[in-house]
Amino acid sequence: MRILSYIQLYFRLVSAGIRAQMQYRFAFIMRIVGMLTAYAGTATTMWVVLYRFDALGQWNYYEMLFLFALAIVSWGFCIILFFHYISLDTYIVNGTFDRFLVRPINPFFHFMSMRFDVASFGQFIFSIVVFLWVSVALSIDWRLSKLLFLLASIVGGVLIQGGMLVMISALAFWTTKSNWFYWVVMFPARNLNNYPLSIYPKVVQWIAAFVVPFGFVNYFPATVILDKTPVGFPAYIGYFSPLVGLIFFTIAYAIWMLGLRRYKSAGS
Amino acid sequence: MSRWRIYYTFAKKSFLRSAAYRFDVWSRIFSNLIFLLTWSSIWIALYGGKEEANGISFTSMLTYVAVSQFLSAVNSAGTPLWEIQEKVRTGDIALELMRPFDVPLRYLFADFGSVAFYIITAVLPVYILLFLIFDFSLPDSWSTWVLFIFSALLGFLIRYAIELTFGLFAFWLVETGGVVDLFYFAMSLLSGSVIPLWFFPDWLQSLAFYLPFQGIYFIPNAIFIGEISGAELLVSIAIQCFWVIASFLLLRIVWHRAANKVIVQGG
Repeated sequence: MRILSYIQLYFRLVSAGIRAQMQYRFAFIMRIVGMLTAYAGTATTMWVVLYRFDALGQWNYYEMLFLFALAIVSWGFCIILFFHYISLDTYIVNGTFDRFLVRPINPFFHFMSMRFDVASFGQFIFSIVVFLWVSVALSIDWRLSKLLFLLASIVGGVLIQGGMLVMISALAFWTTKSNWFYWVVMFPARNLNNYPLSIYPKVVQWIAAFVVPFGFVNYFPATVILDKTPVGFPAYIGYFSPLVGLIFFTIAYAIWMLGLRRYKSAGS
Repeated sequence: MSRWRIYYTFAKKSFLRSAAYRFDVWSRIFSNLIFLLTWSSIWIALYGGKEEANGISFTSMLTYVAVSQFLSAVNSAGTPLWEIQEKVRTGDIALELMRPFDVPLRYLFADFGSVAFYIITAVLPVYILLFLIFDFSLPDSWSTWVLFIFSALLGFLIRYAIELTFGLFAFWLVETGGVVDLFYFAMSLLSGSVIPLWFFPDWLQSLAFYLPFQGIYFIPNAIFIGEISGAELLVSIAIQCFWVIASFLLLRIVWHRAANKVIVQGG
């Protein structure tokens, strides 16, 4: 019952945000165009990389596109739900975070529903087009079980990347810095994740599998869907993606709530 | 004479400002190294143990990637495009217009200061260490070193002028989303920062040769690994000089129009 009322509240808060953004129609379209340009740019770069070579560590162009799109689609949901968490530092420094504490709802939830960035439609358009294109090019046989696994691994990817954003956000409670951590650590790490994990040194692969589980966002699930072998890891590892996401996000949430408990307002 | 003293002071001030925020400045090297890791891994996997591909040796290619990331680090220390756009959006740029100096030059010299701090305290030590650890190739003559440094400086000026010009488009467009992303894409692909132009499809290669971006990374990198030498080297540097002049002219025109635009909008 409680959860249900929270869901209802989320949509009410969010629909207000969407209506506000739709007032600036030109800005809305330009932001989507910008997103699409950026992703098409990365896809073009990948194509040029492979132009004089057949494959990148056993991955051909279409498989790499699929890998990329899988990361982008879950990132789209992360932008809607969690991307604004990295600006928690600004709220804390300006003292505006306090308003999330004086209302009779969970502050984590309240902060989450504060923003709904419609630019994420750019991510969805891009990844849906790529999924369709690659499915035809590689003639992927989309059985129901495979489709369900794709959805489950997208949920896993959202939870892992979202968990990462929430952890970065929580750092603001201790250091009053979070935006900075995103651009210095997570942004380059996301770029690294656009290419198959198998090309990196072993230690990077292990970190991406067991410490900061970026590998479960796209690489491991993609090996399952595309019937490839994750070199150096058991073949079934990709199936763990949703579970890893659930565990990782729970840890992130616990850290955020821990930080919240020791939060003291910046005001006088 | 005293005119230049102002700009020197801007450079010195921004050097000192970087020193005050040294932790933020140094941390940028971390993300630079992740990009170096990404692209060197990609090229190692592409070569897949082969000694040579497309006429370029494996060692040369890895050196190209390292030099390119070194130059990216240097170029990234300047005022980023979005900061200029933010100044336009908030109206802070108007304050700069009221003061008795040339704004594009003032930003350039401020960049010199912050770049100098970043190079001396972070980029150079880290990359010297990398070149000592890994088996990269070094230029075999001192003249190549000098020409590389000169070419890299020209590249910096081209990048500066183009980036500021794109930043100034904010005067006309309220929302610069697509334009900014197009700029960053051209900057990363057509400049040869991650893929040398030799590996491009032929049509894209000819396109890149007619654009200014190749002067930012491709030409200095290729000079460093000795793939451009002799007469070709002089031509390449002449092309860079041409683009420095052309891009600064364009910057002047756009700046002039933008400054007038502020007056037109008034109040």
